[in-house]
Amino acid sequence: MASALRSAILGHVRVPVVTTGSKLLTPLWINRSTSVRSMSSHDDHLEKTQVIDRILDIVKSFPKVDPSQVTPEVHFQKDLGLDSLDNVEIVMAIEEEFKLEIPDKEADKIDSCALAIEYVYNHPLAS
Amino acid sequence: MGASRPQKLSGIQKQVLSLYRGFLRTARAKTLENRAHIESLVSAEFRKNSELIDRKNFLHIEYLLRRGKKQLDQLKTVDSVRLSSTNVELSDTKQQSSG
Repeated sequence: MASALRSAILGHVRVPVVTTGSKLLTPLWINRSTSVRSMSSHDDHLEKTQVIDRILDIVKSFPKVDPSQVTPEVHFQKDLGLDSLDNVEIVMAIEEEFKLEIPDKEADKIDSCALAIEYVYNHPLAS
Repeated sequence: MGASRPQKLSGIQKQVLSLYRGFLRTARAKTLENRAHIESLVSAEFRKNSELIDRKNFLHIEYLLRRGKKQLDQLKTVDSVRLSSTNVELSDTKQQSSG
């Protein structure tokens, strides 16, 4: 009787799996940096201001760029008049600076300081 | 969020940029002097072709892509940089396309 009731209830109750799923998804991203922090012996997660400064320095030092035009939001091609080959060179320089290897698929998307900053800041291996 | 629309690249453009990246990556593994040399050669070659060749001339671009991939493979396999051979090949291309 109790088990019949139980299965009847269980058959009808819908656990909101979606909540659990999204709970898992969003904090995973947030937790990752904190858990990396607590687990790593050396706490070298980069500060955002540091990431911004270093990326801006790279872009400013690019030969064809007028340093005064470089802001954290600047778009490489639209705002700085660079072409896609320059874009590749800048992203490669960023890779080297932060000791990363950015896959082609990601690198093709990075076309502004804002996206570069976002990518590097969220990369667990950036140093 | 500064994320505007991402730059739109065609398939063939992506291949060209990927090849360019490949050259720059490979150059990193060389000595500083050789690296600078390779970078300036490769950069000049890509830039020259980007201006010289019509973006719709897929046959020619694909030909150059194949050729570039071969040159890149060659550059990768050589431990002590055989820049001279790369050099010759690159200048070879220059002569061909200007003639």
